[in-house]
Amino acid sequence: MRRREFVRVLVSAVFSSRLLRAQRAGNPQLPLPAPVPWTVGLNPQTPLPHPAVAEGIAEALPRFFTPGQMGTLRRLSDVLLPAMDGKPGALEAETPQFLDFLIGSSPDKRRKMYTGGLDWLEMESQREYKLPFARLEAAQAGAVLEPWLRPWMSDHPPVEAHAEFINVAHSEIRAATANSKAWSEAASAEEDSRGEGLYWSPIEPLLHGSGSGCEPVQSKALGAPKNGHSIPVYPR
Amino acid sequence: MKDEVFDVLIIGSGHSGGMAAKVLTESGIRCLMLNAGPVADVSRDAESKPAYELPYRGFKPPGRLEHVFQSNEFNANVWVDEQEVPYTFEPAHPYNWVRVRLFGGRSLFWSRQSFRLSDYEFKAKSHDGFGEDWPISHADLAPYYSRVEEIFRVEGALDGPPQMPDGNFVLDNDPWTESMQRFIAAGKPYNLPVCKQRRALGRDGLASSVNLLLPDAEKTGKLTSIANAVVRELTVDKNTGLPNGCNFVERLTGREMSVKARVVVLAAGTLESTRLLLNSNLGNSSGMVGHYLMDQIYGAGVVCSVPEARGGKWKELMGGSAIVPRFRNISVKSDGFLRGYALNVTSATGAMGANSFAAYGEELERKRKDYHGSGFYMTIMGEVLGRYENHVRINRDKADAWGIPVLHVETHYTDNEFNMAKDAVEVGCAVAEAAGFEVLAKNAVPNPPGYSIHEVGTCRMGDDPKRSVLNKWCQSHDHKNLFVVDGASFTSSGWQNPTMTILSLSMRAAEHLASEMGTLNV
Repeated sequence: MRRREFVRVLVSAVFSSRLLRAQRAGNPQLPLPAPVPWTVGLNPQTPLPHPAVAEGIAEALPRFFTPGQMGTLRRLSDVLLPAMDGKPGALEAETPQFLDFLIGSSPDKRRKMYTGGLDWLEMESQREYKLPFARLEAAQAGAVLEPWLRPWMSDHPPVEAHAEFINVAHSEIRAATANSKAWSEAASAEEDSRGEGLYWSPIEPLLHGSGSGCEPVQSKALGAPKNGHSIPVYPR
Repeated sequence: MKDEVFDVLIIGSGHSGGMAAKVLTESGIRCLMLNAGPVADVSRDAESKPAYELPYRGFKPPGRLEHVFQSNEFNANVWVDEQEVPYTFEPAHPYNWVRVRLFGGRSLFWSRQSFRLSDYEFKAKSHDGFGEDWPISHADLAPYYSRVEEIFRVEGALDGPPQMPDGNFVLDNDPWTESMQRFIAAGKPYNLPVCKQRRALGRDGLASSVNLLLPDAEKTGKLTSIANAVVRELTVDKNTGLPNGCNFVERLTGREMSVKARVVVLAAGTLESTRLLLNSNLGNSSGMVGHYLMDQIYGAGVVCSVPEARGGKWKELMGGSAIVPRFRNISVKSDGFLRGYALNVTSATGAMGANSFAAYGEELERKRKDYHGSGFYMTIMGEVLGRYENHVRINRDKADAWGIPVLHVETHYTDNEFNMAKDAVEVGCAVAEAAGFEVLAKNAVPNPPGYSIHEVGTCRMGDDPKRSVLNKWCQSHDHKNLFVVDGASFTSSGWQNPTMTILSLSMRAAEHLASEMGTLNV
């Protein structure tokens, strides 16, 4: 009896408090839209997942340079910036694959400087050594490159045809490597060469691209199943 | 509320707009400030990230911001997007228009070099016969410079020659390092007046309108401001012909809005203020609006190394920075060019750029280690002459994201500027060699016009309404209730970073306006 009494009291207490809540809400008939509202429980203390950067886990698929140009770029990158002093070289940093993406995404002028430059290196290598540039010894590759290396000031790389490519590519191979994950992991915490910076997100960006005004608002829901659930459609 | 007429409408929130707002509201005048972009909140909008987490490893996103050499992937989102607000130019004469529309504008990011113009600039025509004198002199602006220097806490030494007037400084009493002493001694035969660098310390690491000017204006309760308000045109009272407000577009929604004010103060930045005047067909009875676009030549310079500082011995020798104010055409006339240039001189203690060396691989790394901390740099800031043909006009065939016609910029450097750059590099190399420094790299080719972000002119001030747009109070000759308080009013560019002058002119104009509000009769 005692247990039964206890259960009865408990049930009536729960029931009456529900009733009270319903009374307070003023409309006991109104159903909740879901078991709980969507964002209940999300707060600044909610743990965040920590996704990794795809590069370094997944393999980047080449999409711009030809296999021959890619072979030349790989050798060029390795000769100009090999691994040393505990730091990864351009190959360990996957710099050639990154440059394939960066240059492939770039305006035509930059693309042509790279493709023209890589083709020219291959031609020089064949002329001098009867070998592809990709298979040159470091000293042989160096002999092709050295006459074109110049000191230069920021924003003003040399403008002569081959020197421009060699010096700009050298600079970009170095930057892409120093800004890679591999380099960051190898750099000690005290070093200023870990490639960190203050990144600004888009600040209240225009969401609909250029053109005055916004994209037209859709006047009805799209993607509704042809049969089955009815979805209210109303002009917006 | 909608019938509300503000006392003053201020368009722009950077240094010039912020100063106008501070002065006017502190005088009890009700101001409305419109800014074309949003508020930047560093805690919300920025975070420290490694480059490898960004899609382009820190490289400038391809195809974006082609003319903003200062941009990279970290800061790409703070600049005005060239597709969103385009401008046009002939391909042979590119122009680098570097813009920020965040609240506070470019005052958030400037390099803080803080100089006064001297009467070699204000009275330049009297000195060499070229161009026009300003309608004011250094003595007219000196009291305002002094107050601006106090607000911005400009650090410097009282070591300026007449062409670089001293100011109200936080005194820099640090002794010169040995490398600097050698440079000073080697520069004597060239009459280089080597002075301590002058820069705004600001407060809490920032010297911007948003922390030094706008809070004072907001404190008065007299300032209302609206973000994301892209002004389409000024409106005009049909009865009086005077400007009486503006129409603007809400940046994010495209909604068209209108506001009214008794006085309009343009502070949108030199070329945006000019674009607004041209798009509104106002203030141009002289036909001079858009003309005499000037800036300063940058990009030329010399990179050296101090041999004795190599091998890790830089600590005893290196450090410090200097400004060599213009020394050409002061007492002796130079061949090859009018006016002159300053040199920014830096004795650096950090790593040297890899492009300072014609080497690669292990040899390059050996050199960079050996040369670490031995870098000595000289870069030019040269005056660009004001020429009628260097101008901007409206391009009716192209519009921005809100349908507002864009600017066409037509400007180019002449032999005067190219010869100046060449001279700077020759002098720099000669002094470096006399000081025993090794010259590693040099460049005598200026960056494209606009790069310095010191565009001035296009609404120049003067006493003659037929030959100038504004009077000496930055007030339109044509419309008594229209003021332009940014760099557009400059009559000549000088070699100096224009910020202190813009701030002082805005302060002076705003005080004049405050005193005249009662008698403007608008």
